[in-house]
Amino acid sequence: MNIPAERDLPEGRHRLLKEFVMTEIAKRPRTRMSRFTLLVPAGALAAAAVVAAPLLLGNPAYAVDRASDGLIDITINEAKDPFKLQADLQALGAKVVVSYVPSGKKCGPEPRATRFLSNEEAPLSVFPPPESHDAAFVIDPKVIKEGQTGVLEFSVSDDEQVAGIWARVAEGPVADCRLVDTTDAPLSH
Amino acid sequence: MRARIRLGDQAAFSQLFDEYAKAVYNHAFRLTANWPEAEDVVALTFLEAWRLRGRIDAEGGSLRPWLLGIATNVARNTRRAARRHDDALARMPRGGSVPDFADEVVGRVDDAERLSAIKQAYGRLRKQEQDVFALCVWAGLDYAEAAEALGVPVGTVRSRLSRARKKLAGSGELPATTRQVTGDRGPAKEEIR
Repeated sequence: MNIPAERDLPEGRHRLLKEFVMTEIAKRPRTRMSRFTLLVPAGALAAAAVVAAPLLLGNPAYAVDRASDGLIDITINEAKDPFKLQADLQALGAKVVVSYVPSGKKCGPEPRATRFLSNEEAPLSVFPPPESHDAAFVIDPKVIKEGQTGVLEFSVSDDEQVAGIWARVAEGPVADCRLVDTTDAPLSH
Repeated sequence: MRARIRLGDQAAFSQLFDEYAKAVYNHAFRLTANWPEAEDVVALTFLEAWRLRGRIDAEGGSLRPWLLGIATNVARNTRRAARRHDDALARMPRGGSVPDFADEVVGRVDDAERLSAIKQAYGRLRKQEQDVFALCVWAGLDYAEAAEALGVPVGTVRSRLSRARKKLAGSGELPATTRQVTGDRGPAKEEIR
């Protein structure tokens, strides 16, 4: 099996494609508001349990959706009311605690639990998610066993957009997230 | 790098493009056997990567497996990815604007013909086996990286690759000097989750 050798992009194409990509992403708003319409694929609608938290105007602050495969899609348009998001996720069968962590902050005191399982032991955040899941974040509540709690920390940018997730399964009780100052990278632990 | 991209740092994303565009381009070519189409896959892959940046885990190593996983999906379903970035693709610079060099063009045609022959055998694999084979053997990811790229357990990667190799060997298409995949000599037993 004679595989062709690796090649660079043709002369000039690397630069042109990069300029194209960087121009396009610069045009795109950081919000993911419009993605709510993609949250529930038509075929999965009947089987899915969908919860959306409304804002006073426009799109919901967040939406959660349990699909027929048991995974839960989470789309957060605006980082508001983590406790309601937490309650809605728990209502969908995910025993989790939710925190929003602004930039320059982290959850204290650390560690919030006596032991966190590794991603390999309990892959709570499904990454990359199956193709049928189009939400920004997908979690698998099945990996949370008796006596355990899923811990979801979402990093929040200055414009109140959720930028990332830290998800782990904790054994035993989990301390509340008290925001403390940090100079570390967001969601560092 | 992970944290910066996840937070929408465009300078970090620009650096990511420089580091991995070639890897994505070659992976895309192996999946499509078409160099111009591979360029489209590069652009779509990075647009998708930006869209999905929030999913990047805070911890981890190179983002190459993640990008190759996205590229695999894009190459598999270019139409779907293209629909998502419909407006952008209309603005995408086409290859004609860059001068071609004769040797380069000949080389690329040779590559396409060579890969086309390989893909006749490769095409007999199941789609999932093709993806694992392309990532592990052609792109050189280890089992864990391929598992991360495809979002499947390591044990699944191992078994799919094993099946792919048996089929290719059975058809006489697998060379005797098959490249050793990193992590190929793992423990005989492995927990499959």
